[in-house]
Amino acid sequence: MNGALAVLRRELKAYFYSPLAYVILTFFLAIQGYYFSVIVAFLADPRFPGGKPLELFFGQTIFTWLVLIFAGTFLTMRLLSEEFKSGTIETLMTAPVSETQVVLGKYLAALLFYLFLWAPTLIYVAVVRAFTPVDWGPVAASYLGIVGIGALFLAIGIFASATSKNQIVAAIVTFFCLLVLFSVGLMENLVNGATAKAILGHLNLWTHMDDFAKGIVDSRRLVYYASGVGFFLFLTTRALAARKWR
Amino acid sequence: MIEAHDLTRQFGSFTAVAGVSFAVADGEIVGMLGPNGAGKTTTLRMITGFLPPSSGRVTLGGRDLFGDDVALRREIGYLPENVALYPEMRVEEYLVWRGHLEGMERGLLRRRLAEVLERCLLADVRRQIIGTLSKGYRQRVGLAGAFLHDPRTLVLDEPTVGLDPKQIIAIRELIRELGRERTLLLSTHILPEVELLCGRVLIIDRGKIVAEGTPTELRERWLGALGVEVEFGAAAPGQRDALLALPGVETAEAHGDGRRFVLGCALGADPRAEIFRLAVARDWTLVELSPTRASLEDIFVRLTTHDEIEAQRAEVAS
Repeated sequence: MNGALAVLRRELKAYFYSPLAYVILTFFLAIQGYYFSVIVAFLADPRFPGGKPLELFFGQTIFTWLVLIFAGTFLTMRLLSEEFKSGTIETLMTAPVSETQVVLGKYLAALLFYLFLWAPTLIYVAVVRAFTPVDWGPVAASYLGIVGIGALFLAIGIFASATSKNQIVAAIVTFFCLLVLFSVGLMENLVNGATAKAILGHLNLWTHMDDFAKGIVDSRRLVYYASGVGFFLFLTTRALAARKWR
Repeated sequence: MIEAHDLTRQFGSFTAVAGVSFAVADGEIVGMLGPNGAGKTTTLRMITGFLPPSSGRVTLGGRDLFGDDVALRREIGYLPENVALYPEMRVEEYLVWRGHLEGMERGLLRRRLAEVLERCLLADVRRQIIGTLSKGYRQRVGLAGAFLHDPRTLVLDEPTVGLDPKQIIAIRELIRELGRERTLLLSTHILPEVELLCGRVLIIDRGKIVAEGTPTELRERWLGALGVEVEFGAAAPGQRDALLALPGVETAEAHGDGRRFVLGCALGADPRAEIFRLAVARDWTLVELSPTRASLEDIFVRLTTHDEIEAQRAEVAS
């Protein structure tokens, strides 16, 4: 697994050497910070019913999803596209590393950067803790949901990146796929058939995240994310190997 | 020892390489010549394991490169065409990364890194960001990366492209050194380079090997015998007959004011020494004696310009 580690390390460096990482970090924190302050202001207003700030931060609103979908798109778009475009893929694939090692290394780098992106939001938890007791279970569950859904999104993103040498095309494909994946579950409320409703209900990421924010962890959902990650990473290794059959 | 067995590569309905077979032995430098689009790069991509052939095999010391053993790729160092590097990395950092990718152990990597930086004349830019380097330096970083892990086989796709004349000399010297202890295959379209570096030449055209041999063999086979130009200080009677009488001389044409001759020689014959002795014996001042040896360039042009010839023929026929 040395090869995967070498790929992982280079990829992490590549994030921090490029302005992209800092732009993403800045906007991510600006949006999250603004959003958190809006929630706090909302809950502080005596005219509105009270609530738990962290539950609102992670669930029940569209903000979380905007952040997740954009992060999934921007963090992955260049992972493989850039290698194809610049030709560095030749160096990589003539080294004694397998397609699986390359894909794993790059994916884990994206995942680590994604975690790094979310890490500062722990400050919000600390802020809330400073004024009121925090129920740690739902907080942990929320982060579990963020990591699980994020992992799935990143896997879809890296797959899209393996299908094109153009980063923009990869980004558009990822964005579209994530939008579909997100909205297909919302159709739950629009269909009438009991079976369709049940199936879409299982796929409804919105309710998944709401539940995580309330502290409900359904292991079937974790299995869903994990198998999705496995499936798309497998597709990515196949797409990388597909250069051979073209 | 790297061997290509009947390599064929198709892209859709286009056949880029059609049944190419050759072997490169240890300590041998083989040059691959061919016009653009002849299939050089595709062949090299197959030889290095990047692109599996549609049919045929590549073996490295008898073992199949496209088998399950990914570690076999460690024995090949590859400098791809247009040297793709990561522009945001520093030279040394990039080379260390290549070492990690090859699974080199720390101490060995440190030693090899120092050696490679020095041999590729990169020591003074080791801390520079690759994106800020000139083409010549980037080429050398790529070359350094290719032999950092000390592979037994080196494959270089146009290694001297984009270098200035001084750098070209330095890199050729390095290639010659590297070829001494390794199997080395390089592609180029700079013909003098092949003559200077390579013990053997493969001329490839439209996906096929059209000629193979040492530069000398190719010359003899494809352009026949040597020609010699002789010029004496002054014309004298009997010069032409005396030249014609020499062994190996078949034709002698007089040029200019009658003291200059262009000789056609028999295959394999080289009458230059006899010409010199003749001039001394007859007291004729020799002011020029030069071989008009066909260059590889002539052979190359002859072998690869059939497109135009065929097009002309087709035009005439219609």
